Amino acid sequence: MENSKKTLEFKFERTIPAPPGEVFDAWLNPKIPGNPWNAAEKFILDPKVDGLFYWTLKGTSHYGRFTEIERPDRIQHTWMSPKTLGQESIVTLTFKKQGEDTLMTLVHSDLPDHELARGHEKGWNYFLDIFPGQFGNGSRKEK
Amino acid sequence: MDQLTNVLTAISHPTRRAIIWQLAHGPARFLDVAKPFDTALNAVSKHLKLLERAGLIERRKQGREVYISFRGEPLREVAGWVHEYERFWNERLDQFEHYFKGKKKKEKR
Repeated sequence: MENSKKTLEFKFERTIPAPPGEVFDAWLNPKIPGNPWNAAEKFILDPKVDGLFYWTLKGTSHYGRFTEIERPDRIQHTWMSPKTLGQESIVTLTFKKQGEDTLMTLVHSDLPDHELARGHEKGWNYFLDIFPGQFGNGSRKEK
Repeated sequence: MDQLTNVLTAISHPTRRAIIWQLAHGPARFLDVAKPFDTALNAVSKHLKLLERAGLIERRKQGREVYISFRGEPLREVAGWVHEYERFWNERLDQFEHYFKGKKKKEKR
């Protein structure tokens, strides 16, 4: 089986106008917009070390297990989806107090750098939505 | 500069994106392209040069007129460069941040 050893890592930062404890809790609360579980059509969430999560959106399922839960500083869990090609990628969130705000950092690492895992389809759809009819026979499958 | 940088530079300016949008609906002459913008013709001409360098537009002579048309192909490289999870997390985190900003505004009222 061909498993690419090359991996990708993405880092994102946001300043959230609330204390770390509140931001930490909101990230694990499926009722709050923006966390992965909020958008799900169906989800299971057990946010404790060795607890599991599952969520599905538009027929794509995501699974993971929590490896670190340290309120209010840090959350780490694994992340598996068709885009990770059956491998566990890692999502690490940190929450640092910055005055009255929280500097929230999300790192998604160990993502297999494979053609299938890249967002060609989604990227294409983005441009196809902007420029209808200009891309000939693009590789659009959705809609 | 490499081609990807040229394309990203070309689409980084709102006026150039508006020109692309306009041309995506069909070829147009220079003065028609410039019409909707409140900028000097010289500035529009510079924007077109950057779009041309990126391969996003081409000029074709039809009789006495020169028509400018949009080419989508260079955007393929940009699309491939954006990883799905890059987009996914940015969208989620923007929403998360927006929620807290909205909440704070309400609290201030």
